[in-house]
Amino acid sequence: MIVLEAKGIKKRFGGVIAVSDGNLKCQAGKITGLLGANGSGKSTISKIICGVHSADAGEIIFNGRTVRYKNPHEARQDGIAMVFQNLSLVADLTVWQNIVLGIEENKGFFLNNKTAKDLSKEIVDKLLPGLDINKKIFDLNSGEMQIVEIAKALSARPKLLILDEPTAALEQTQVKSLFNYMRTLVETGIAIIFTSHRLWEAMEICDDVVIFRNGESVVSIDFDKECKDPEKIVNYITGEVEKIRVDKNHTKITDETVLSIEDLNYGEFLKDVSFKLKKGEILGIGGLAGQGQRELMLALAGNYAGVRCDAELNGKKIKLNKPSNVIRNGILLVPGDKQLEGLFLKHSVFINMIFPKLGLSRQPVFTPNKKYRKESKNIIDLLSIKTQNIDVPVSTLSGGNQQKVVVGKWLPFDTNIWLLADPAKGIDIGAKMELYQYIVNQVKEKNISVILYASDNEELIEHCDRLLIMYEGQIVATLEGDNINDDVITATSLRVR
Amino acid sequence: MKKNSNALGISNLKKFILKPEFSIVIMLVIMLVIAAVLQKNFFEIKSVVRNINAYAPLILLTMGQAVVIISGGLDLSAGTSLSLLTCVLATVMKRNDPVTGIYAILITFAVAVFIGVINGIGIGYLRIPPVIASFATSFIWLGVALFLRPTPGGESVGWFKSFYNISDVAGVPVFLKTFGTFVPPALILVICGCIVWFIMSKTRTGRYIYAVGSNSDSAYMSGINTAKAQMVACIINAFFIFLAALFFVGQNQSGDARLGDPLTLRAIAAAVVGGIALSGGRGSVYFALIGALILSLVSKIIFFANIPNAYQTLVSGVIVIIAIAGSMIYTFYSKRTLLKGEKKIT
Repeated sequence: MIVLEAKGIKKRFGGVIAVSDGNLKCQAGKITGLLGANGSGKSTISKIICGVHSADAGEIIFNGRTVRYKNPHEARQDGIAMVFQNLSLVADLTVWQNIVLGIEENKGFFLNNKTAKDLSKEIVDKLLPGLDINKKIFDLNSGEMQIVEIAKALSARPKLLILDEPTAALEQTQVKSLFNYMRTLVETGIAIIFTSHRLWEAMEICDDVVIFRNGESVVSIDFDKECKDPEKIVNYITGEVEKIRVDKNHTKITDETVLSIEDLNYGEFLKDVSFKLKKGEILGIGGLAGQGQRELMLALAGNYAGVRCDAELNGKKIKLNKPSNVIRNGILLVPGDKQLEGLFLKHSVFINMIFPKLGLSRQPVFTPNKKYRKESKNIIDLLSIKTQNIDVPVSTLSGGNQQKVVVGKWLPFDTNIWLLADPAKGIDIGAKMELYQYIVNQVKEKNISVILYASDNEELIEHCDRLLIMYEGQIVATLEGDNINDDVITATSLRVR
Repeated sequence: MKKNSNALGISNLKKFILKPEFSIVIMLVIMLVIAAVLQKNFFEIKSVVRNINAYAPLILLTMGQAVVIISGGLDLSAGTSLSLLTCVLATVMKRNDPVTGIYAILITFAVAVFIGVINGIGIGYLRIPPVIASFATSFIWLGVALFLRPTPGGESVGWFKSFYNISDVAGVPVFLKTFGTFVPPALILVICGCIVWFIMSKTRTGRYIYAVGSNSDSAYMSGINTAKAQMVACIINAFFIFLAALFFVGQNQSGDARLGDPLTLRAIAAAVVGGIALSGGRGSVYFALIGALILSLVSKIIFFANIPNAYQTLVSGVIVIIAIAGSMIYTFYSKRTLLKGEKKIT
């Protein structure tokens, strides 16, 4: 039974066409995957279905009725719930207050908190047992927040559930339990729309997939009829038949040590971290999410004044006490949380691109705008950042393209070391390959070193010469050569070995 | 630290001590002790009653202000709307006609609601930045107040004194008189305000006020009428101001267009001392009450500590800054301690 059908959806924001021809069908009891590169329109069409945006043209039929929602609340009451990518939780309320937010039940004049807590507990226990529903949101980590977000969508007992990249913030075990729960959900007859950048997830969980490219739905594949062919799907997503492969083992690692860190300590987050980084090496940092990798990257970039450690760069002692100090030494951070750490969202792409230059390198009295604009344009071409022009605010770019701007703004710098803290988070496959290709080329040409933290093991395996596994703020293992593979990484991360 | 200390290992007492609110309670206790040392008869009933009378207006205004700040707004017009309400009261009442007191209360209440609605439209529906919106309306309220009472004055019915001191009212039964010497009406007004907020906080609207202040986009996406929630917050604030106006007219028997203005910023500062985050969504109205008490005690302490007149304002400013900084540092450290305790249960 078809629950939802979207036909010929069109939507433009200002001058940018987000969706030019979106078509989509969802069936009760099935999980429909929505795949596509960043800015291909899959987020936009999800938002149109659940009432955040309204379509310029086209038709949405839900349960046999043509619908046009003015706001998400109407859609929610009608039975369409969406889990948002940029979280829609209220940080100062507790977990259960958030779950029932907007659909609270009254008992007489007052709120009925007991049923609300019972309902929340029931849903949360299925998704993440052990999460305290009386905690406030700002005390949770990003994975827990995502779970609460999903619980919130489910509390309205929807007939159609839209999950927009729900797994991006989750650990592997959480992903597994989410998938199990999604299966039990669809068995009760609801339909699910699922988007993710991780292809294997879509292959594992979806019954059929719709692939978007440049705002159009190019193909719909029913896995019951057609076999699951990842190559074919990637081709549909990128639109190119030929895949760019990043080749490994090209770098000449010298024995020369660039950076040596001894006994780095920071509160409870990092304990006695020591390692040596060689010239031309790509050093990976892995492990389960939230074991101090992020903190280590930020500490190395000088963001924690309270860090205690002995650091030597090229045999010279340096202090990691403030960012400007570290950057002057040629250690540059590409942070993972682009919206918080990497960008001035309201400012233009151009301003964001040249900002580090203005602050950190010697400048003529008048900024050579022409020269810088040209440089910025070059970087945009290089990373194929999709933007109308370089003067639009960064916030108008899609998530993946924003991340590319963060990476791009450091590119013109003379670097000793790049600290990449999950640089490919939320970037699509094609862009991810280009980005890493660029990094690897830089490593090769300029003989710089890289410390790479990625939440996706795949990226680490593909690029790292050496891999440090972190657990509870400590480095528990160093993997080299053939040991860098999924099995060993998982085993050491979980401390099975 | 103990070996197996985790989330369960922290006792409830320790959890309470580590709450940011705790620092506010501590500060109040310290202030009370200092005040009691400096002023020998601080805890005598007469002096307690006098102090409550002196502090009640600021407390009421602070609680109202706290509700608005929690909803993500700010009311710079609180002081002038207080002035306006006293002027309305003193203009409607006729000294020799006791019934006019009832009319005056009803009319003033309507004006208070109107003030709240106008501020709410500006902040909630028109999305004018709250500082600008309420700054603009503050001139309107002042203008109307000056129109009604260019100079302080007006009339008041006799029984209106009961909002200040029941014993002063002629023809009151003896038991009420005795009651009045122990329980000042100002305390009853404050309790009234607390009850109203207590009821509101248990309703949908009360929760929405927090949600909107914390993250209005998220709240909107959850289907909350954010503008309405902010407007209700403004109306609750206006109600608190209304209570304060009753008190002032009871005390002065007149209206004054210049009465409230100095209280506006004091009330905002008091709310901040009481742990209300100016960014919205965080804090408790009852702790704002304590904040107002702390701020009031500061002036009292300075008065009794024989600090030369010229330095009093300076010293009180320094104390307020220390108080706010202290509570922020405390929050920071308690949060870190809590994190240490709770990390890595998995």
